[in-house]
Amino acid sequence: MPELFSHPFFTLLPTAFFTLAIFSFLYRDNPFFKFAEHVFAGLSAGYYCGLIFQSVINQQVWIPLTQDERWLVLVPAALGVLMFARFVPKIGWMMRLPLAFVIGSTAGIMFIQQLHGMVLPQVGRTILPLDSVENVLLVIGVLSTLIYFYFSKPHTGPLGWVASVGIAFVMVAFGAHFGYTVMARVSLLIGRIQFLLIDWLHLAS
Amino acid sequence: MDRIQSVDRRVLYTLIFISVIIPVMWPLHLPTPETPEARAFFDAVEAIPPGSVVLFPFDFWPSTLPETEPMAVAGLRHCFRRDLKVVGLSNVGIGGPSVADRLLDSIGAEYGKVYGVDYVNLGYKAGYQAVLLGMANSIAAIFPTDHRGTRLDSLPLMQRALNYDSLSFVLIVSDNAMADYWVALVNARYGLPMVAGVTAVMAPKMLSYIHTGQIKGLLGGMKGAAEYEALLGESDMASRGMDAQSLIHLLIIGFIILGNIGYVASRRRPSPARAG
Repeated sequence: MPELFSHPFFTLLPTAFFTLAIFSFLYRDNPFFKFAEHVFAGLSAGYYCGLIFQSVINQQVWIPLTQDERWLVLVPAALGVLMFARFVPKIGWMMRLPLAFVIGSTAGIMFIQQLHGMVLPQVGRTILPLDSVENVLLVIGVLSTLIYFYFSKPHTGPLGWVASVGIAFVMVAFGAHFGYTVMARVSLLIGRIQFLLIDWLHLAS
Repeated sequence: MDRIQSVDRRVLYTLIFISVIIPVMWPLHLPTPETPEARAFFDAVEAIPPGSVVLFPFDFWPSTLPETEPMAVAGLRHCFRRDLKVVGLSNVGIGGPSVADRLLDSIGAEYGKVYGVDYVNLGYKAGYQAVLLGMANSIAAIFPTDHRGTRLDSLPLMQRALNYDSLSFVLIVSDNAMADYWVALVNARYGLPMVAGVTAVMAPKMLSYIHTGQIKGLLGGMKGAAEYEALLGESDMASRGMDAQSLIHLLIIGFIILGNIGYVASRRRPSPARAG
């Protein structure tokens, strides 16, 4: 009997059940879908709590303190504890200390990341010799789109013409994004059908 | 024409399901032509000298496995085939490290690779920005232990992989903004060359990094993964899914055309009030 239940059909049964339960929503809302939805939410929350405890409390505080004697870890740990000060109204103001650290460091990192990693390389790559159709299209696309998003002057006359070229480029970009998004969502469906037909039911190879 | 405008959505769902089921059960073997971005991805990995250490972020959630797993599998096969040493990690806590563990072990076993010598899974660490920046100084300071709890100083591979200076390449597989962070924080600041395999939703944005040369190659969604499999001379999960992908795309194009015909026809028809 135990051998029977170790068969892949049964070990994969919960996965198949939840896949079909979620798909059942396509027909209409029903108790199977609701059950699957709630199990997913509960499991995710529980898993995430365990994960954070293991990867933050244990790995980044407890092990460095007890095994490596890195006492400096106590500083960020104390800042982390202060995050909970908001639950005690008298000392709620102390939560601002770790928040100030988080906001300041994140702003600094993001500023460098956006400017150095994105804006400058992208701007640099649009300064091109206009010796090919691709380069000309790229430069026209960037300039006209930027003008479309220039709102300090009414989009009339020549400015309006250029802005309408810009909106055409924006529409093409939206179309490309939509096409890729369809492909992504369809891929997820294919993955589930492959699981049901190949891995679970063995109807295909 | 009214019927076109009022088709029950469940009819469309049924047609889409049929379009997936038929090619999954009876493959059509439709061609998947390679794109320059996928070829560049393949060539970039081919150009890494054997024995080099490659960082392999598994930055994806289990929900996107149909797109990302084929890329990760093909990427690992390519690395192990070329005798590259792989250091895996994940900046996605839920599912990322366990998927990394499963794929590294199973693909490593195909090529007779040994854990700790040929590949390592560092696992997950919260605070992705600090992780990415901190590894520039010391990987061991950020990950004192691997995913299994083994201290890094006891793993031979990690004696060679100390920080970004000792790594040759980054092969990102991602379904979220982590790909942007790898490019904008690690490539921009430390110049580490990288390629990226991302979900189709992310591909249009990532193409701009190809244009600037910040990444050397790109795989976009299941199509990109299928191209990579073809370049490696394999036909695996992504290649099998592309038949269904192509059929559904044709079906959706048909839906859009029919929907627009119905829409235009309904606008041209005079309203009952005017006709009367």
